[in-house]
Amino acid sequence: MAADLDRKQRDSEMKNAINNKLNENFERERLMELLRTRLKECGWRDKLTQECKDIIREKGLDKVTVDDLVTEITPKAREMVPDEVKRELLERIRSYFGDNV
Amino acid sequence: MASCSHLTQFTKDSLSTYRKICAWFIAGSSKKTRRAKTTRKCHECGTPSNRLHACLCCVYFGCYSGLKHIHSHAKQKDHKLAVDLTYGVVYCFLCGDYAHDEVLEKILREERAKAWRSYGNKTALYEHWLPGRKDVELLKRNVKYQRVCDNSIIGLRGLINLGNTCFMNCIVQAFTHTPLLRDYFLADQHKCKKQDGTCIVCAMVSLFQEFYSGERTPHIPFKLLHLVWTNARHLAGYEQQDAHEFFIAALDVLHQYCKDDSDETIKSDNPHHCNCIIDRIFTGGLQSELKCQVCSSVSTTIDPFWDISLDLGNVLNNGNGKSNTFIASAASVPSPTLSDDYLLSCTPPESDHLDDSFVPRSLIECLKRFTRVERLGSEGKTKCNTCESYQEATKQLSMKKLPIVVCFHLKVC
Repeated sequence: MAADLDRKQRDSEMKNAINNKLNENFERERLMELLRTRLKECGWRDKLTQECKDIIREKGLDKVTVDDLVTEITPKAREMVPDEVKRELLERIRSYFGDNV
Repeated sequence: MASCSHLTQFTKDSLSTYRKICAWFIAGSSKKTRRAKTTRKCHECGTPSNRLHACLCCVYFGCYSGLKHIHSHAKQKDHKLAVDLTYGVVYCFLCGDYAHDEVLEKILREERAKAWRSYGNKTALYEHWLPGRKDVELLKRNVKYQRVCDNSIIGLRGLINLGNTCFMNCIVQAFTHTPLLRDYFLADQHKCKKQDGTCIVCAMVSLFQEFYSGERTPHIPFKLLHLVWTNARHLAGYEQQDAHEFFIAALDVLHQYCKDDSDETIKSDNPHHCNCIIDRIFTGGLQSELKCQVCSSVSTTIDPFWDISLDLGNVLNNGNGKSNTFIASAASVPSPTLSDDYLLSCTPPESDHLDDSFVPRSLIECLKRFTRVERLGSEGKTKCNTCESYQEATKQLSMKKLPIVVCFHLKVC
């Protein structure tokens, strides 16, 4: 139990350290921007827009809120992110921490 | 997303709150505000993610998904409006949905543009097209709904050969399928001062409209051909012409006519120092470095280019002097083998590309050969500014700036 608690604390400390590191040099913003660009380039954004439009048209404009849309589309949207994009992001994050730790 | 009465009431009183939040935490238009932007986190649980929202009534940031602290804040304090810190849209807790407001959207656009400029971007921020009042009226009157599906053939159209004009047709086909040119021409960005029908850009505009009209019969580009003849005399007549030559001539003529369109308030950053659509898409900078063999001082010049001539070396069974041109678009197809990084990092070349007899077998190898260190020899002595005398030198070419669409011209000796 104590070991479990200890690990939990270490995990949260690590999480904080990572978050702070990402905030330095605006790396988080940079990564976000890269992700946004890649998703646009590979057509993910357009496809998602189309999916959303389809849902809205199906349910009727007045009967759907942004929250509904988000809940419905999120699993699909995650699935649609191409593996290459995930890999590139992971690679970037890894190299950032490799250089900075 | 409709507008809501609660938000309308809010915009009457305190627009400055929204502007401040935009400037500091959404757009980030200076170093100071960007620093502040990175520190934003949920005041309750400290998470920097989970769709942070800021309360518009007091200073409070809360997470939206996850532990939903912004929701509990709204309930406790009876503060009913919160702005999403990623996109700048406002959520109304009374209506239970995001609300839309023209005034706030305008503020957001202004702050985003400010932030964009503060990053040192010389060009204007790309914005989605928004319908004006006139457009809305037109759209209401014409309710026919058209959707372009994945297997649509819209944009594909044949061109009639007007007598050895294949050199023109193939370049026109390449032009019409360059996404950036298409967007420019279809968005009516060309403002013509000539009304006498002699403007080649206007001809291009109507050509693009023809291509994307959904018509399936081949198009007859006689008007364009006529204008090409009058503008580039050396291409006139019914003889075979070189497609590459036509491409360069077309860029040149279009550039001449497009110059007036460009917004002079924005400074251009391409090596041609021109802001027209042609230079924005096709102009790159070629850096040539001359290194003196005696004192090792380097003199650098940067020249604008529209195309890169790549030597294919001595290919024996293909030595009829024919040349091929192809256009690679970085904007439309992110190619895994030919990324920008690669192009920029392919200097210095490996030793086996130094040899003149080397025959490249791929585009990459051609480019390696193109950017190799070249010995100018004793005949090609150049004047060294440091030694102040003529000395042997080596020369190396590299890409200082890649254009968005780069054209390679493959030469066979």
